Amino acid sequence: MSDINSAADTILSVRDLKTYFFQDEGTVKAVDGASFDVRAGKTLGIVGESGCGKSVTTQSILRLVEKPGRIVNGEIFLHKADGSVRNLVQLPPNGSEMRAVRGGDIGLVFQEPMTSFSPVHTIGDQITEAIMLHLPVNKKEARKIGIEALRSVGIPKPERRIDEYSFELSGGLRQRAMISVALSCKPRLLIADEPTTALDVTTQAQILDLLRKLQNENGMAIMLITHNLGVVAEMADDVVVMYLGRVVEQGPVDDIFHSPQHPYTRALLQSIPSIDSQPRVKLPTISGSIPHPYNRPSGCSFYPRCESCIKGQCEKAEPKLIAVNDHQKVSCFLYEEQK
Amino acid sequence: MTNSSTQGNLLLDVKGLKKYFPIRRGILQKIVGYVKAVDDVTFFLHQKETLSLVGESGCGKTTTSRCILRAISPTEGSVLYHSGGGKTVDMAGVHPSGLHALRKEMQMIFQDPFASLNPRMTLLDIVGEPLLVHGEKRASVRAERVAELLRLVGLRPEYLRRYPHAFSGGQRQRIGIARALALNPRLVVADEPVSALDVSVQAQILNLMLDLQDKLGLTYLFVAHDLSVVRHISDRVAVMYVGRIVETAKTEELFSRPLHPYTEALLSAVPKPDPRLRSERIVLQGEVADPANPPPGCYFNPRCAYAVDACRSQTPQQREASPGHFVSCHRAEELRLRGVVTAGHA
Repeated sequence: MSDINSAADTILSVRDLKTYFFQDEGTVKAVDGASFDVRAGKTLGIVGESGCGKSVTTQSILRLVEKPGRIVNGEIFLHKADGSVRNLVQLPPNGSEMRAVRGGDIGLVFQEPMTSFSPVHTIGDQITEAIMLHLPVNKKEARKIGIEALRSVGIPKPERRIDEYSFELSGGLRQRAMISVALSCKPRLLIADEPTTALDVTTQAQILDLLRKLQNENGMAIMLITHNLGVVAEMADDVVVMYLGRVVEQGPVDDIFHSPQHPYTRALLQSIPSIDSQPRVKLPTISGSIPHPYNRPSGCSFYPRCESCIKGQCEKAEPKLIAVNDHQKVSCFLYEEQK
Repeated sequence: MTNSSTQGNLLLDVKGLKKYFPIRRGILQKIVGYVKAVDDVTFFLHQKETLSLVGESGCGKTTTSRCILRAISPTEGSVLYHSGGGKTVDMAGVHPSGLHALRKEMQMIFQDPFASLNPRMTLLDIVGEPLLVHGEKRASVRAERVAELLRLVGLRPEYLRRYPHAFSGGQRQRIGIARALALNPRLVVADEPVSALDVSVQAQILNLMLDLQDKLGLTYLFVAHDLSVVRHISDRVAVMYVGRIVETAKTEELFSRPLHPYTEALLSAVPKPDPRLRSERIVLQGEVADPANPPPGCYFNPRCAYAVDACRSQTPQQREASPGHFVSCHRAEELRLRGVVTAGHA
């Protein structure tokens, strides 16, 4: 297990993370053994459909999991700028160190820019609040930094926009403002949870371009969480594919899209309608639908929908995430047998 | 002008459709302006074909589809519907009392399968309701028809007595489709039918819609913002921008040889699921024009890289640039725009 505190350029390592929600009806294993690394200055794409645990993974990293949810196992190592490594799982979620991590080391961009801003405070209030929390500046200086932050994300007339409320901005501008809040304290890692899902395609293109430009300028790492495979293909360096709380495959973006190994990744890629496919030709589909989290299948949770399912094996045991070549990892019995 | 509209069996002929919503201010609620949600839209729809209305939010695609169904009354224009009985009626002008019979022939599939099904009704009630509304009083006949419909959309007829909460998003959308088909409609308006669904389920619903079209000879008016989905299901595509149709063409033609700069930008903005195709995207500057206060001339001119003086003063008229390819752009003939390459030709 030499890769645990792996290469020097790693900024965040998640190891065997398990976050469960204990409810009256039963336990929802929202994240059930996820492991991956985010490399400094690179973009990691986390893809999966609803219920795959991608958002709970984010909440776990930032220690924002709400009751009845709890991290029951695993480590989250954050490599700080000064070279020290902290295990975020061991920090008290409301402690001062964790509060410094949120917004300081790690910036967060949510999906819904409309609901993530307070409607009764101006954009300026919210951006200066974040700045004053993390940087030793007074209100006037914070406002100046805020205006610059708004300018850097391409908001026109930031001196005026800073005194507006979020509902006065369009969807695209609001998401830009959200990004500027997240980046105002120069985080080394930006977690973007479905940053463009609520936006139109042309606005999405603007926001993706902006994220890439900011990454080139600041050298920050981005953890991009999305269900849109197109966005991942455009943005990511590495990809993690999740299904029902588990990582089913991970590897460099080119391998994931051009030689996917896990049956789920393969089926998912085939089933998406593409802008350059033949019109009115039937798509291959994944049969069935995503199981309800309360009755997750035993063994490999994908087996009821899997075309390559091995009877007598897949429904009994859970496959482990193993390396199939020097850069790709897959959790599937098809590959364990080869060994 | 509309040469191609005379070919084939026309089902719907929309001409000069307008829908303005008044903006009211003050104590007296005086009208101070209009939101031009749909502003002079002209297109036609053949029998058994799928036409998609594409565009970004606020472009008027949903309003257009609602005007066609007369869910709202248009401000101006005509919506000629060639009904099953061989009669032609103007949906925009028909007296409300005449709508009941017409609506049997046109049905709608909604976007959100969680919001569009009443949680307190069983499948039997939901899918059977259109039958009841249109005079089928015998419960046994309704139950039989509902069971048949459920089979048609790939659900088990035993589910008849269950409530919507017992079903997943994809299954609920199938229920919505079954309800739309209950009265054997000729025209189905599908407003973003797959955008609320998971990727792996989208394909199932799209395949089902294609199947049903072949089986039942349906005509689809498909309203969507996702160009990949649109490409997959449509025979023809109409692109809308701020209340106007800027371009209409056969799917292949529109995607490979767009004639309007907005179509080009829209096509290039779609992220392609292939990391080797990280192409130079055209990123549009600025924002979508305000339909209450649109710019003079072509509404797209402030964001258009090819705009010339004429674009800023004159409104381009829709014209047929090549057979079946309609465009409203002053420079459509001279520009060489970039489309997407079809898989297999690359």
